[in-house]
Amino acid sequence: MSIYFSVRAVSQEVFSFKTLNNGTYELVKFSNTGNITDLTVGYVSAASYDANDPSGKTIITQDKTKPVTVLHEYAFNCDEKLEIIHIGKEVAEIDGKSFYSCWALREIRVDPENKYYCDIDGVLYTKDLKTLVCYPISHDQYVRANYGYDDWVASDDPAYQDFRDRVLTYVVPSATEKIEMLAFNYASLTDIYLPEGLREIGTLAFFKATILENIRSYTAAQPITDTTFVGEDVFATLYPSLPEGVESIGSDAFNHDQALTYMYIPSSVTYIGHHAFWECVYKDGGDLRGLAQMHIAASEPDFHANTHTGDQWRPQYDYMLFKKTIDTNYSAVRAAD
Amino acid sequence: MSEQKTSLTTKGKGLFGELKAHWKAPAQGRYVPYREYKDIVIGVGSNYAGAKTLEYITFAAGCYLMMYHYKLPYLTYSVINIINMPLNYIWSLIWWYVCDNLGFLPKKQERKCYTLYISLVILGLAMIIFNIGDLFNQSGKFVTYLNGLEGINANSAIKILGTHLLYTGWVGARNIFWRKKLIPKFGRYKYGLYCDYVPKCVMVVLIGWLPFYNIPDVITRVWVANLLFACYNVFGFANNLETCTQNISPNLRERILIRTYPLKISHIFNSIFAMIIPVLIGTLRYKWEDINMFRYVIPAVFISFATLTMIFAGRIKERIPQPPIEEKVQIKFWDGMFGVLHNKYRWINNIVYLLDSLGNGMLAITTILYLYTFRLTGLTYSLIVALVQFAGTPPDFFTPYFIKRFSFKQIMIFYQLTRAAGNAIIVLAMLFCGDRIVLCGVICVAVLFFMEMTKTVPTAVSHDMDVRVNDYQMYLSGERLESFAGIFGWFTGPITSFVGLIIPLLLLKYGFNSNWDVLFLDASRTRIIVIPIVIDIVGYLLMTIPYFFWDYDSGKQNAVMEVLKRRAEVTAKKAEEIGEDANSGFVG
Repeated sequence: MSIYFSVRAVSQEVFSFKTLNNGTYELVKFSNTGNITDLTVGYVSAASYDANDPSGKTIITQDKTKPVTVLHEYAFNCDEKLEIIHIGKEVAEIDGKSFYSCWALREIRVDPENKYYCDIDGVLYTKDLKTLVCYPISHDQYVRANYGYDDWVASDDPAYQDFRDRVLTYVVPSATEKIEMLAFNYASLTDIYLPEGLREIGTLAFFKATILENIRSYTAAQPITDTTFVGEDVFATLYPSLPEGVESIGSDAFNHDQALTYMYIPSSVTYIGHHAFWECVYKDGGDLRGLAQMHIAASEPDFHANTHTGDQWRPQYDYMLFKKTIDTNYSAVRAAD
Repeated sequence: MSEQKTSLTTKGKGLFGELKAHWKAPAQGRYVPYREYKDIVIGVGSNYAGAKTLEYITFAAGCYLMMYHYKLPYLTYSVINIINMPLNYIWSLIWWYVCDNLGFLPKKQERKCYTLYISLVILGLAMIIFNIGDLFNQSGKFVTYLNGLEGINANSAIKILGTHLLYTGWVGARNIFWRKKLIPKFGRYKYGLYCDYVPKCVMVVLIGWLPFYNIPDVITRVWVANLLFACYNVFGFANNLETCTQNISPNLRERILIRTYPLKISHIFNSIFAMIIPVLIGTLRYKWEDINMFRYVIPAVFISFATLTMIFAGRIKERIPQPPIEEKVQIKFWDGMFGVLHNKYRWINNIVYLLDSLGNGMLAITTILYLYTFRLTGLTYSLIVALVQFAGTPPDFFTPYFIKRFSFKQIMIFYQLTRAAGNAIIVLAMLFCGDRIVLCGVICVAVLFFMEMTKTVPTAVSHDMDVRVNDYQMYLSGERLESFAGIFGWFTGPITSFVGLIIPLLLLKYGFNSNWDVLFLDASRTRIIVIPIVIDIVGYLLMTIPYFFWDYDSGKQNAVMEVLKRRAEVTAKKAEEIGEDANSGFVG
């Protein structure tokens, strides 16, 4: 009997939904059958198989009378097959952790009629663009395909700069004020442009974005909604590191970003979560690589008075079998670009 | 002051004289010469440290190789367990029969066993090599069900079953072959070291160097990893020499003495290396995530200790009162089964084990605490781990006192209650410390220190009681029936397996799957730790109940040992009378 119950317990339905009080549905869990790469989340769905089809391909049917309005946290957790997710027009609430570790995810497409969310070329935003919700982990593969790059271009290849500008660079729209938790986790980006209106960088927002080398901030004369990097001329002003006006940096926000070499904390920052820059420095031979120094705009007393910092927020490196925190440069002047 | 000095000098001289006098021959009433104490320190120390090093390599979610490289879905481990479980019932029957007869089977039965095991190997290989799953209707219910399992599909499920058959056949055939060949020469507890040393070393090296973790498809990665670890597990390297020392003397006080001093001192090897290994790992570029940990660090440490173990293994002897192997009573299958079922204390132990399964499937709290809360690596990690581990050493020296002063029942109830209390404090710390991670960590480490401190005496007492329960079994059935004791697994196995799914399914709901990085998310980490611990606390409280029925004490044990000695004498005498050479037994 126990074996029977065990067998039942480990078997997972492809879709698991929960009825909400308002009569709509929440997608709690999606378990891939192994061959679903493109999925639409709009209505309560069921998976079946065609008995005459020897390939065992999954057929998904939707019940148009049962709209899905909420995506639960970890709904697609650790999926390795999904490449495109289409968000239906009724979806009103997406948890920041919904697409956690969707390793193959290239695009999240939102129905244009959706009132709450939209996408810019496969990257998920709230409708007003104020929050960047999710940059799919394998989004670079989609962009690569768009520009005809079959393979990764090596850094010593003459075509690398073009590849880097088009594929590995992302411009966050000027209206964006918040980067949601996990938004850019594991992203393959070397350069990112952040708008000066940005206020909040969420927990693990850039977690393990290991090739991220440059963060630049900008102001623009005209609103920017094109996220493709087309040159620096479109920006009114441009400067390195985090934008002026940022108030909050979530815990582990830049954890493991060892390609970063410069970090400037503007005086507007009032909260830095624990381990925000953890593992951003390492020793290579006798030299420190990565974030070897933390530059802070505020003076030391002002910083301690106005900024709440979590434990071990600065990077630490190996020092005589123990760990040592990197130096902090208070009252720093932002480096020139 | 000077009197004290004189007294100490006298004691020192006395001890030296005692050691010198009985270096090669034991004192009257004792069985183990002091030279063997020295061999225990080095031999058991190396064996223990080698076996402990192997804890870095397991087919489980908590293994760093799985965690950072293979990245298998968490539930998959449970699914594989369920796939293998039904057949395990049949294999274990044969296994107990072979083991409890020490590999000495009647010719006809031996041939039957070999035929079965070799057939299993062939069948298993066929199931692994060919895609048998393709023969089924791909849209049918069976294939649909298998495809719905986490990290598995129809083809891979059959390959996993094939791996199980291959493993069972291979291990089974080796078991008969090596037991028969080596037990008469090396005894029943350490013979395994002699046949497994070389292949185990090879497998430890291979496991780090074979790049199967690079296989992009998770389903293929799962069955290949399962096959690799099955091959790795065919060869054991348990702490055999320590088991041997548990049976080193028929004199109870001498056994305890050996457990308390040379054995404890021998564990220092491991304590030292438990500190050195993380320091070595800390020097690697990617720390715990660095594959070089499995390519260089673990193999180098293991092979060194395994070699030392082999050098000293021959010098440690087992001396349980038992009839000579040549005159050993053949245990009939049903006698073996009912024999263990008549042992009340095995029932109690298994009920406790059943209740303990409430905590099965939870992640190691120390791993989460050290790696995801404290973010420890290198020497800092080593020092904290060593500090916590050391907490258990001083109380262990007082084990004889505790055994004398308190009953087994009192010690074990105290043990369960301290687990419940300690875990409750950890839960409170997790819930109320918020993002004050250092404070939370300090409280948790203090609690772990306390829990370790209160763990070693019950563990030692429990090990000793296990040996006593085996003695009692020998008194009841004429053989220790250690393997037949697995019959309880028939009842407990499916239940523990089902109960053990509760926590993995909950963890899956809270976001824990194949990516451990989710533990960096504070809210998820708290849920992933706290809920399973609460379930575990309930288990600890319930586990106190069966111990209220425990009544096996030293008086009973002494009486049992007297009977066993008498039986061994009688059997040896009988063998001599009919002119047989009966030199492989030990008469107390």
